[in-house]
Amino acid sequence: MTQLILFNIANGLIIGAFYALMAIGLSLIMSLSDVINFAHGGFLAIGAYIAYTLSPYIGFWGGLLVAPVLTAVLGIIVEKFLISRVYGRDPLYSLLLTFGLAFIFEDGTRMIWGAQSVPYSVPNWLMTPLSNEYFFITGYRLLMIALVALAVGGLFWMMNKTRLGLRIRAGTLDLETVSVLGVNVRVLRNLNFGIGIYLAGLAGVLAAGQLGLQPTIGASLIMPSFVAIIIGGLGSLLGTLLGGLLIGVASGITSVFLPSGTEAVMYVMMALVLLVRPQGLLGEEGRF
Amino acid sequence: MSFLKIENVTKHFGSLVAVDGVSMSVEKGECRAVIGPNGAGKTTFFNLITGMLDLTKGRVLLEDHDLAGIKPSARVRMGMARTFQITEIFPDLTVRENIQIPVEIAAGLHLAPRVPKARRAELRARIDQLMEEGGLTRIAGRYAGELSHGDQRACEIMMALALNPRLLLLDEPTAGMGDDETHAIARLIRRIHREQNLTIVLIEHDMRVVFNLADKITVLAEGRPLAEGTPSEITANAKVQAAYLGGSA
Amino acid sequence: MSGFDLRKQAPNAAVWLILLSMPLWIDAVGGYTQLGTQVVVMGLAAMSLNFLLGYTGVLSFGHAAYFGLGAYGVGMTIRYLVPSTGLGLLVGTGVGALAAAIIGPMIVRLRGVYFAMVTIAFAQVFYFIAFRWNSVTGGDDGLTNWTREPINFGFATLHIEKDPVTFYYFVLAIFAVAVALMALLLQSPFGRTLIAIRENERRTRFLGINVNFHIWMSWVISCTFMALSGSLYALLNNFVDPRTLYWTQSGVFVIMCVLGGMRSFWGPLVGAAIYVVLQDYLSSATPNWMSFIGLVFVVAVLFFPRGVLGIFRRKSTE
Repeated sequence: MTQLILFNIANGLIIGAFYALMAIGLSLIMSLSDVINFAHGGFLAIGAYIAYTLSPYIGFWGGLLVAPVLTAVLGIIVEKFLISRVYGRDPLYSLLLTFGLAFIFEDGTRMIWGAQSVPYSVPNWLMTPLSNEYFFITGYRLLMIALVALAVGGLFWMMNKTRLGLRIRAGTLDLETVSVLGVNVRVLRNLNFGIGIYLAGLAGVLAAGQLGLQPTIGASLIMPSFVAIIIGGLGSLLGTLLGGLLIGVASGITSVFLPSGTEAVMYVMMALVLLVRPQGLLGEEGRF
Repeated sequence: MSFLKIENVTKHFGSLVAVDGVSMSVEKGECRAVIGPNGAGKTTFFNLITGMLDLTKGRVLLEDHDLAGIKPSARVRMGMARTFQITEIFPDLTVRENIQIPVEIAAGLHLAPRVPKARRAELRARIDQLMEEGGLTRIAGRYAGELSHGDQRACEIMMALALNPRLLLLDEPTAGMGDDETHAIARLIRRIHREQNLTIVLIEHDMRVVFNLADKITVLAEGRPLAEGTPSEITANAKVQAAYLGGSA
Repeated sequence: MSGFDLRKQAPNAAVWLILLSMPLWIDAVGGYTQLGTQVVVMGLAAMSLNFLLGYTGVLSFGHAAYFGLGAYGVGMTIRYLVPSTGLGLLVGTGVGALAAAIIGPMIVRLRGVYFAMVTIAFAQVFYFIAFRWNSVTGGDDGLTNWTREPINFGFATLHIEKDPVTFYYFVLAIFAVAVALMALLLQSPFGRTLIAIRENERRTRFLGINVNFHIWMSWVISCTFMALSGSLYALLNNFVDPRTLYWTQSGVFVIMCVLGGMRSFWGPLVGAAIYVVLQDYLSSATPNWMSFIGLVFVVAVLFFPRGVLGIFRRKSTE
């Protein structure tokens, strides 16, 4: 029993890490551009499929390195030519735009790579369990946790130490002042979008090795990412990370005791947070 | 008993003290001006009175009734109406609709599925009367967003008056206006004050307007009260001269 | 303000004329009666959403949940409780209204994209209940083994279960009542207060209005009519599945409003008609209809943000 619970906690942590990677990217974009990127899941899937297509040539590690970057480039292009055109209008329009893009991406990946699940190969030695007793701990899972930690750590470093990061943070607090100070807001939003999509691409590549690869892979991760943001607090990256891990683990534990409640539990948590602390666990009051 | 009593009102934003221990008593029927250089905390002070911001310290009393914990919309229902530094109206509605909405709210109809037949004539007359008083009749059918600055301000003031307030708070009613418009708005406020014996508190930069309208003046500087008195007392006050009048004008 | 205004009444007359005569000509233009019924049902749904979206200015992206609750409400009532269409409609609408009333207080403090995100997330709860609670809802396969029942008025029986035209007029009658109620509300002082909130929330608050309470009211009214339209949708298909309350369906309702024009009363109906006909055509013409629908979203947002009826924006009268 203990082992079963540990197994599900480990599973929950992994899935929670995906939620967190997605959610942090979504939250970055939402804070700076006031856009809910419904196409985020679509970008995640594209990242995964790019890695799948390239890995026969450049190997697993090459794919891991290159695919998220290519996805980010695609994101930057989409932002520049489509999404940036609705900034400053009612947020309704950006929502509908990314919504339409989500449809196109999902259908597009289905058209190119097929509706069936495709095998995504991960080096064998990574997939062997490290111990017999804790069969669920594989090198791949440790790698995922390490990479997520690295990505989030890198992002935090960037937000606090680099000029770009500081400008993004300032922009989320007061965009007008930042633009008066001579920062090019268009470029800032463009790069920020790219960063968010990079994280989605990375999550896609990692998820492909763990969950298998089909066109709906992104669509199934996006709603929990919203929940992670709401629970953690909009605008707080640390909160969003925490929110993602929290709902992942909660779902994992619930799946042991009440399998039919696996998905429902995170929404119950969300309702509780909204009742008790509407700004989210680590969110600041008056931010929404 | 003072009509509006402010006791030691203080507001901190983090380490910044925006308003620091301001007290003020306004009598019924008085027109009080609050003046001070930019950054003196005037608008913050207003937002504390209307409940848009929570107090860090102090009390606000309306007819001896402590307003702590009362939401802005409830304070409006208690008779405190206000206008804003940047005019807040309904830009995509006509001037008539802009006036009609507060008139219906004042009549207690904001949840009503229809206007009772018996009251229709009365409400229409009230709307007409307010538009006439504000000089808006000639532009009744125009969208409020298309109006000149001065007309928008007049519209906003008449919207506040439509609520039959007992206290009217005006945040820089002539800000950004030319001489003619400033004159017209000042005349409008003066007439309201005289005819309805309405208690008014206003923030104003234009000293001609202030000395023309105010019975008493409160001067703020860096969030603190600097002086209080009649217009002539304020003009003669050396501290005010030094900190404010002498410095800039 | 009063009297008969031809310019104002002409669109109303045109809409009713088209809707009343639909069964007469729809086959001739390549459609079929059920498609017409679907337009009316989806039109009611979009107009219900627009009560909140277009007239109160509140961005809900989770309305499919209440549509779906209505659909499951009527289906489960007929299947498990009483084989009565009338009671089913009442239960379906009531369940949607109740859920909206309970969820409302948790969300009315939120605004903008945050409101959108929370409403869509809440909507997923109902999706998962429908999806997971296999034994009762039929899970992914949907709720089957029930059909709409004839309606007995005592003196006569309305056979909506067989003839599609009879059912069409039954739906149209309910549509007429619902739409008339919404129009009445929007032209009332209450409706003007909602429009005031859309126009300028701060001003409205400082006219003494409890804005959150009014948004809650508008939300509940909107969701109630939404649940009614969902109930009708289930009756139309004699079937419900979890897709009726999936989050993408919520987006579809919003695009209907935008396609037709959010600022005009009939706009969402026009948008619904365009969308329903387009989807009906595309889904049989190409396997990639999803891409085309996505394209419709993108094109509508970039090139027709005011919608089809937005072209006729009212002019101010000098």
